[in-house]
Amino acid sequence: MSGGVAICTRCNDGFREDEKIVNSSGEMWHEECFVCAQCFRPFPEGTFFEFEGRRYCEHDFQVLFAPCCGKCGEFVIGRVIKAMNNNWHAECFRCELCNAVLADTGFIKNRGRALCRPCHLKEKAAGSGKYICFKCHGLIQEDEHLKWKMEHYHPYHFNCCKCGEELTPSARELRGELYCLPCHDKQGIPICSACHRPIEERIVTAMGKHWHVEHFVCARCEKPFLGHKHYERNGKAYCEMHYNQLFGNMCFYCNKPITSEMMCTMNKTWCEEHFFCSSCDTLLSAKSKFIEFDLKPVCKKCYDKFPNELKRRQKKVETTSKKYGKAEQK
Amino acid sequence: MSKSVKKQVEEAREHNSPDLDLSDRGISKLVDTPGLFSLKNLSRLTLSHNKIDVVPPNIIELTSLETLNLFNNYIEELPTNLSSMQNLKYLNIGMNRLYALPRGFGSFPKLEVLDATYNNLTENSLPGNFFLLETLRALYLSDNDFEVIPEDVGQLTKLEVLAVRDNELIGLPKAIGDLQKLKELHIQGNRLTVLPPELGKLDLYSGHTAFKAENNPWVPPIADQFQVGVSHVFDYIRSDTYKYLYGRHVEAGAAPHPKTNNRAKKISRREVWGKK
Repeated sequence: MSGGVAICTRCNDGFREDEKIVNSSGEMWHEECFVCAQCFRPFPEGTFFEFEGRRYCEHDFQVLFAPCCGKCGEFVIGRVIKAMNNNWHAECFRCELCNAVLADTGFIKNRGRALCRPCHLKEKAAGSGKYICFKCHGLIQEDEHLKWKMEHYHPYHFNCCKCGEELTPSARELRGELYCLPCHDKQGIPICSACHRPIEERIVTAMGKHWHVEHFVCARCEKPFLGHKHYERNGKAYCEMHYNQLFGNMCFYCNKPITSEMMCTMNKTWCEEHFFCSSCDTLLSAKSKFIEFDLKPVCKKCYDKFPNELKRRQKKVETTSKKYGKAEQK
Repeated sequence: MSKSVKKQVEEAREHNSPDLDLSDRGISKLVDTPGLFSLKNLSRLTLSHNKIDVVPPNIIELTSLETLNLFNNYIEELPTNLSSMQNLKYLNIGMNRLYALPRGFGSFPKLEVLDATYNNLTENSLPGNFFLLETLRALYLSDNDFEVIPEDVGQLTKLEVLAVRDNELIGLPKAIGDLQKLKELHIQGNRLTVLPPELGKLDLYSGHTAFKAENNPWVPPIADQFQVGVSHVFDYIRSDTYKYLYGRHVEAGAAPHPKTNNRAKKISRREVWGKK
């Protein structure tokens, strides 16, 4: 006995003089006591792992404490990537779309997926306009979408409150209930021709259709008319400015857009009240006979006063063309 | 006759009416119709088919006048101050005996339509500032004696109608191609043989346009295109072939086509007609 100074850390017994003593980080052990805290076997090749004062063989240490890679399931030794609530080998943590290693470049969480920045941006652009169903949290395909009480849903989660049919994207909300389109239309509420939704407030009736006040707009500038005059052409409504800009029938006399009835002849247009004989300023009507003189209207009375030599010259030229003009009223 | 004219003027004053129609009333002296020039609210005055030979300078006292129609009278000269009529938009001085337009005629601030058809005007009888009439939309100069249209016509950027039928034109100016708004061009009955390639910049064959060019001694290639249609004429004068031929034609400096003298009997030329 050597004075009872040195004792084994594990069994608290002393050491015999000829006994081998294992010395590890200032602690002493019998050779047979220096074993894995889990399997009580000596450490293979003397390698051990220390954790909270206990020493383990490599195998047991990994079993007990080493993180598992979320991808390959193997233990992660060395660099551990902690991300997305899991551990990963640096080599295993990759962009789900392009498979690029993310350990050093960083990643962005996109709908539960870890993506590299370029893939994330692509996904974001492609996915814009798509909604997530508030009920099943699945992606809603375009045209397969139902909005109800400010949230987005797959329509097939609901049934018509009247006929019980499973709903389609054409379903409509009315007074807080969901109806299929046929049942909805039987409820007698006017539908806005622009947005195809019921009009429960002020109704504008124009061009044989109903509109929300704010949805009856100029086909060109899309500003609502809000009770101002609109002009129709080919089933579309325009504000005065754009109607004239697009279809520009300016009166040849007053040089202003024609708002009254329009006289249309000789490649020109006139306000009904400005279609004068160019010689005597007499107002002509659609029924008046007049002569085209340099594509100006001249009433018959004035033409009769024209000098004969001019009429002869005119006649020579116009033997083939018609003599009398006729204005078309529109 | 003059009594009822007087009555009409009085009625116009009483009713403050904007229009006064005194056409075909045998009026020869405007100064004989008292009170006419004090109709401050008159916006349209029609004096066509009368025998007026002098337009008195006090016509400008009609400060609201927008339309003045003097068609078919005996006018030989217009007052110099006429162009100071601030609101005049529509002036018809057609079928008179004008040999010139007065000095400063181009200073009308608002004139939009000028009809000077059937007079005796030439390019030399236009005042220097004539083409400053940039508000002009329509210019009717048919049945006059123009041999050329000055290049300054290009300044009339708002021009939609240009009528120079039955003149003595021997060529059109290049600047005609600058009249981007032109929709109607009347050049019938002139002495034109070629068209400037610049005319090809315009579209005078689509909807709501007119290009009247009959009765001209066109060179055969142009005459051929007229046979098939106006759009073919425009296609042709836009071609490089034509630009080359036109250049050669101008270089050659051929003598202009002779006058036809078929308008010698124009009544605008007579000194006195039906006058006592």
